[in-house]
Amino acid sequence: MRGQKLGAGLIAQSQSALPPFTLHRPTSLGEAVALSRQHPKAVIAAGCSDLVAQFREGLEPEVLISVQRIKELRAIKNDAGVLRIGSMVSHAEASRSHEVLSSVPALAAAWGSIATVRIRYRGTLGGNLLSRRYRYEMPVILSALGGQMLFQGGDVEALPISSLWDRDSLWDRNLGNVGILTAVTVDTASLLWFGYERSMRPVSTVSLAVRKDPVAGLTVSAVCGSEYRQPFLLSHTAEATDITELDPVSVGGVLAVQLPDEAGDYAGSIDYRRHLVGVLCRRLLAEATGNKGKEG
Amino acid sequence: MSLESPESSEERFAHKVEFELNGSPERHCVPTSATVLDLLRNSCGKQGVRASCERSVCGACTVLVDDLPVAACSTFAFDVDGTRVETVEGLAAQDGTLSAQQQAFRECGGFQCGFCTSGMLMLTTALLRQNPQPERDQIREWISSNTCRCTGYEMILESVERAAELASAKQQDQVSE
Repeated sequence: MRGQKLGAGLIAQSQSALPPFTLHRPTSLGEAVALSRQHPKAVIAAGCSDLVAQFREGLEPEVLISVQRIKELRAIKNDAGVLRIGSMVSHAEASRSHEVLSSVPALAAAWGSIATVRIRYRGTLGGNLLSRRYRYEMPVILSALGGQMLFQGGDVEALPISSLWDRDSLWDRNLGNVGILTAVTVDTASLLWFGYERSMRPVSTVSLAVRKDPVAGLTVSAVCGSEYRQPFLLSHTAEATDITELDPVSVGGVLAVQLPDEAGDYAGSIDYRRHLVGVLCRRLLAEATGNKGKEG
Repeated sequence: MSLESPESSEERFAHKVEFELNGSPERHCVPTSATVLDLLRNSCGKQGVRASCERSVCGACTVLVDDLPVAACSTFAFDVDGTRVETVEGLAAQDGTLSAQQQAFRECGGFQCGFCTSGMLMLTTALLRQNPQPERDQIREWISSNTCRCTGYEMILESVERAAELASAKQQDQVSE
């Protein structure tokens, strides 16, 4: 059925060349989990915006399980300091959700700024994360917030979003089957501040969260994203009791210097990228601390 | 001995899709991997749905599914089962009278080669349904979903503003009648 030999090029000759598959369209999570156990190599399909592109890049699954009709994957809840967002929630739904707006308003704003209007209506949280494209923004945004992915029917129950880029993880080495991504959770109880800077996209984006550390002080987590390299997690624990005690210049510098050499690419050397990430972190921290004069 | 399973590969890789297209019921049996673009152009004869980037980037294939803009090139046909689909062919009235959007694009020169125009018109339709009086910033945000390689966008922005005026005037006329 394929009009072009696999590996002959990135782009199929036409839309007619997509290889067919056996389709399953479960209407409940239980049914989807059973299907994924029955077909461990099946592709799980949500909004399909990215998946169709993957087909055009050579993906040829024998079985596809579409989770579009599973209503329970579209729920958003905010209970006891934990925001839980279903994997089938679209970007547009999340950015307008009362639960997201009331618990982490900057997350709603960041979510509503990614991609385009058309993609925001169709693209889903689950698809954005599990397509594992460097340039997609939700892994960057949600990693800084310490987001956890919850699964059913596979070999794992939960994984941090930051694990999407772990070396030697199950993602790259086929160490197991993750099953169905059901939701993402974000701890909002200890969260003091969150912000996202995408004004320098695609060269660099930065999401930054400040939390109360469980032991003492404050933890600043920043994630640096770009078009061409995986997101990198940067972190600093400060001996502060209040967010206004953080110094944007020094904390920004401490975070930026953690960026590994491999973050440099053809769009910017590592020196330039560290400088840029430092500026973006300072900008966010100045906003977090309410001290615009300390952007540096 | 046959190696064929009781279910032929044609049956295994086919899916029935029922939906409403520009107000009329449609029922088709398509390959599981068929996109909405395949379905609309090849099975329904709606050639106004353009194929271009096939990556959900350029928006030339934009159609409305349950009032929301969707890239037909990057949506599987099985996902429009049970939905209401609208293409550019459904905009004009039965007697050929142009819709407010079409009239505005013609008045303001919102197209040159015309390849992107059907997608732009559908995007405009979706925007005006959500907000009949959009500000220019919002129009810019929506229109930036689609690519035009001829006009430089200024005339498209003017066309959408004009479409909002024409649609509003048309609605007031209907109320006064």
